[in-house]
Amino acid sequence: MSIRTLLLTQLANTTDNGGVASTDYSLEANELPWSASGESLYVKNMRVVYVGDEDEAKVQLYRTLDQNAVYQTDTVVQAFLTEDAKNIKANNPTVIQNMLDAKSVVNTDNGYNVQNSESGYEQEIEDDYITYTFEYTFTTI
Amino acid sequence: MANQVINVTAGSQAILSLGNTSTLAEPDNANAMKIPFLQDISISAAPGTVKYSVLDSSASKAFTTVNENSVSGNMLVDEDAFFGNASITLNSVGINGLFATSVAKTEIYFSVAFEGTDSGDHYIEGSGFIGGLAPTASMDAAVWLTPIEIICSSELTAKTI
Repeated sequence: MSIRTLLLTQLANTTDNGGVASTDYSLEANELPWSASGESLYVKNMRVVYVGDEDEAKVQLYRTLDQNAVYQTDTVVQAFLTEDAKNIKANNPTVIQNMLDAKSVVNTDNGYNVQNSESGYEQEIEDDYITYTFEYTFTTI
Repeated sequence: MANQVINVTAGSQAILSLGNTSTLAEPDNANAMKIPFLQDISISAAPGTVKYSVLDSSASKAFTTVNENSVSGNMLVDEDAFFGNASITLNSVGINGLFATSVAKTEIYFSVAFEGTDSGDHYIEGSGFIGGLAPTASMDAAVWLTPIEIICSSELTAKTI
């Protein structure tokens, strides 16, 4: 299962179970965060979380004389959430926190030897809406 | 004669093979225990020397004693190579693994292939004891790493396959 799929599976849960699904928030489980007529879908569809595709780089961690090299894979996934800045919902902090914590779903049980995992977000206010851009970074062996 | 370096980038040239007999340690022996995931390997063949001074020379003089031979390297820890593989039938070094063989201080035979395992390829062989194992793990390293040394108890001999 890809890292993006794992994140989608986790975020599809209810807020009580570590996801974003609730009365006010939901997850777009299929579509990438593409733009329609110059407007990003996550701006058009506020309070819907969109998860982007994976950026991946494979780096040789160890070289060996028998060419059985060990590789590390650096994977970056972005997710987006836009909210009405005039009307922030009460469970916004819970959704934000759950989105940050979703990185822990990428683990050995799910087939990934994770050396390092990080998550963070930046926020940008434009007009009357605020967009949270999350970035998940994973180093797997 | 054209000079030519020995290229090891193909992954099939520099090979350390171990066995409980000299035949089992030959590079082209199917039952040789070929050490996987070697990062580097060094062969040291240093003659022992004793230096002395004489009254009629401003430089010290020396005479040789016995050779101090060893083979050393660094490797990623492979489970079978380190802890042994019971499904092996002939080679007790492979059955017991590097750690148990080191602890038991069992004399082993080794070869270091320089050019691979084809006919005419050069290798150096000898016998000795496995030592120097010091497995280390960290999150930065991500895998177990260990140095390895074979402290030789014989002369090194250059041969061809």
